[in-house]
Amino acid sequence: MQSIFKKLLCQILVIASIMMPFQTAQAGMIGAEQATSSTSAQAGRSDINNFLNRAETINQLQSMGIDPKAAKARVASMTNSEVNTLAGKINTLPAGADSGLVLLILVVFFIWYFAFNR
Amino acid sequence: MPSTTARLIAGGCAFAFALTTLLLGGCASMVPQTMALRTEWPAGLPLRSEIADVAFFPQVVLQCGPAALATVMVKAGVATTPDALAPMVFLPQREGSLQIDMLATPRRYGRVSYLLTTDSRAFTRLLIEVAAGNPVIVLQDLGVTGQSRWHYAVVVGYDYPAGMLYLRSGKSARLSLPFTMLEYTWKKSAYWAMVVMPPTAIPATADDTSYVESIHAMAHAAPRYPAPENGLVKVAYQAALERWPQSLAAAIGLANVYYDQGKLADAEGVLRDALARQPHSIIVLNNLAQTVSDLGRHDEALRLIDRATALAGVDGKFVEAVKQTRLLIQQRMQAN
Repeated sequence: MQSIFKKLLCQILVIASIMMPFQTAQAGMIGAEQATSSTSAQAGRSDINNFLNRAETINQLQSMGIDPKAAKARVASMTNSEVNTLAGKINTLPAGADSGLVLLILVVFFIWYFAFNR
Repeated sequence: MPSTTARLIAGGCAFAFALTTLLLGGCASMVPQTMALRTEWPAGLPLRSEIADVAFFPQVVLQCGPAALATVMVKAGVATTPDALAPMVFLPQREGSLQIDMLATPRRYGRVSYLLTTDSRAFTRLLIEVAAGNPVIVLQDLGVTGQSRWHYAVVVGYDYPAGMLYLRSGKSARLSLPFTMLEYTWKKSAYWAMVVMPPTAIPATADDTSYVESIHAMAHAAPRYPAPENGLVKVAYQAALERWPQSLAAAIGLANVYYDQGKLADAEGVLRDALARQPHSIIVLNNLAQTVSDLGRHDEALRLIDRATALAGVDGKFVEAVKQTRLLIQQRMQAN
């Protein structure tokens, strides 16, 4: 029982710590992002979704062996829409890695290149 | 006997003709933008261009993401290396680097990451950026067997009469790639391409809305990192406002930076200019009222916020924010 509470408390703290930096510093000034964003009702809903997505993405990065601090910093430098794109898809989105060119492409395109190359 | 030879030759010719037709027809749909460039070469774009001073970091195993990013970030004035960037970009378990991490990382250094518009003119935009001196990271799919093999490379030059693009790619400091081949491999990432800009410069193909949004993204990330990175946010908004004087988002962004720094008079100046251009902007009126009130001129602030209240309506997006500002100003007036 105690562990469930602990877990819940941890989750709340994680979400709270993520939310903190995203609140505007001054109550009176409206943020520049608002100049292009959607209506407030939608914004409210998407804010909550976004916080959850941030938490989920941080967790997922950690489960992939990124240390907690680095995972948090990575997600912190992403925009809301980037986080929403990434959440739940870390395993499927393209990950650039390969070097050089595969021989077969070279062969096919060699012919093509001499036919025309632009 | 001669008839057999003739038939063979005729058959051969027909086959060659069919193959050529197929090849050309296939090519047109396989590399549509390369085809379009043949008839629609952009006016004023040089036929040859190559950025001279772009660093080269030969990629070690799987690390094309950090290598490509270091290449463009050094050009944007950041002293860095692929090894330094790898912990922020590379995902060991995926054995690669995600596009979003590629975009997010430069923001930590006070640089603006900008995703080029990916439409039927993507190739033209790539060339325009290179001609303007901005190396472009492209995401290619080098897979041939149906399985994707994603790869980041940096386009640093092109020679259209020769039909070649020049890239920092993998272990090649200057890989020559035909236009057709770049497009064929690049098309599969939906023409994904990005540039990294120092805060003083604007990409040649950028439009105001999406570029100012890229600065907002940097503004959110940069304050987490030590100065001077966060000071660069101001410079970036200034550059954007200079390039697009009518941009409301850039003006509001710049004014908010000044406000955060306690430079209220500067914030007021920027907001007044913005208000002169757009007298019906609720955000500008609200933020100006707040700033003017902070400067102690509450009567003036109240007049401004009343204009905002009238424009905000009863169920608009900024009703609550405007109400709060008005309340604050009234409280201050009563306290005085």
